[in-house]
Amino acid sequence: MARLGVATEKVPGGKLLRVKAWVSEDGSVIEKTQVTGDFFAHPEDCVLEIEKALSGAKASLDEKALGERVGRVVEARKAVLVGVDPTAIARVLKAAASNAK
Amino acid sequence: MRSDSSVASVKWRVIPLQARDAHANMALDEAVSEAVSRGESPPTIRFYTWKPSAVSIGYFQGLEDEVDVALVKEKGFDFVRRRTGGGAVYHDTNGEVTYSVIAPESFFPKGITESYRVICGWIVEGLKGLGIEAEFKPINDVAVKLSGKKISGNAQTRRNGVLLQHGTMLYDLDVVTMFQLLKVPREKISDKMIQSVEERVTCVKKHNADASLERAYKALLHGFTEGKEFGFGEYSGGELARARELVESRYSTREWNYLK
Repeated sequence: MARLGVATEKVPGGKLLRVKAWVSEDGSVIEKTQVTGDFFAHPEDCVLEIEKALSGAKASLDEKALGERVGRVVEARKAVLVGVDPTAIARVLKAAASNAK
Repeated sequence: MRSDSSVASVKWRVIPLQARDAHANMALDEAVSEAVSRGESPPTIRFYTWKPSAVSIGYFQGLEDEVDVALVKEKGFDFVRRRTGGGAVYHDTNGEVTYSVIAPESFFPKGITESYRVICGWIVEGLKGLGIEAEFKPINDVAVKLSGKKISGNAQTRRNGVLLQHGTMLYDLDVVTMFQLLKVPREKISDKMIQSVEERVTCVKKHNADASLERAYKALLHGFTEGKEFGFGEYSGGELARARELVESRYSTREWNYLK
């Protein structure tokens, strides 16, 4: 059974970001993520791809590495995030994973 | 896709204020967007209210994170996930005028903020007609000058070459109901150092007690149409049929509304 952690942040100068992380029982893998909030993303379906790109990540990855995963999706989709950015998503994901119980 | 790309030279269809339920309102936005994308419908500005009162949430929000769903149901109100991002909104049936602008993307600046600025400028013009000095407040709000209080919230999406921006002009404020239905995140309030919705949101009635909802709508209509060639119109049969389909297949469904 994966353990769920949630973290929320009002991104400075941006919007509210909440990330849920389902972490494997042994704490080694972020099995699944969900990114929610009142931000904007164009096209909208890039957020689903961001969630997929983060799922399966080793929990030991640092913010920079996780942020790069998000950044690669944004670049590939030529997506525009408004009120949130890859760094913030990575930061809140780390916090969520460390909150997993 | 229409090839003419100048806002000035095109004739807009303006659909006057109508009341519909939340699912139909969101389905019409999408049905019209599809028709505009196919070049079957002209660029459109529609005005509407929500009957019954409703809560809409942004595309990326968690329904139960934002909304007391049980209470919404108990009151006989609707709830709906929008296909635009942004925040949760309480749409009081007598408390706001909502608009949608649906037009080829090429009519507007490419930059998201710049395109918000254009359409929010029409809202600012409308408010001016009610004696209210307001300004665009990035990312997606219109706020009253001096007090800085929000009087209009807006959200935008772009798909298949079409820009859809919808938003509300707050006419009357029922903060008690709003607070009951929406769960305002603690983090957002503390960041802005503001303690309550009342201190950061205002409405037409607080600035112009004599203005009726009809008058507020007319002022907004003027702000949106000034300098444009336009004609009043209605939805096409195709748009209405497609909207009914979208209510059934998406906007009234559990899969869509509980997506997150």
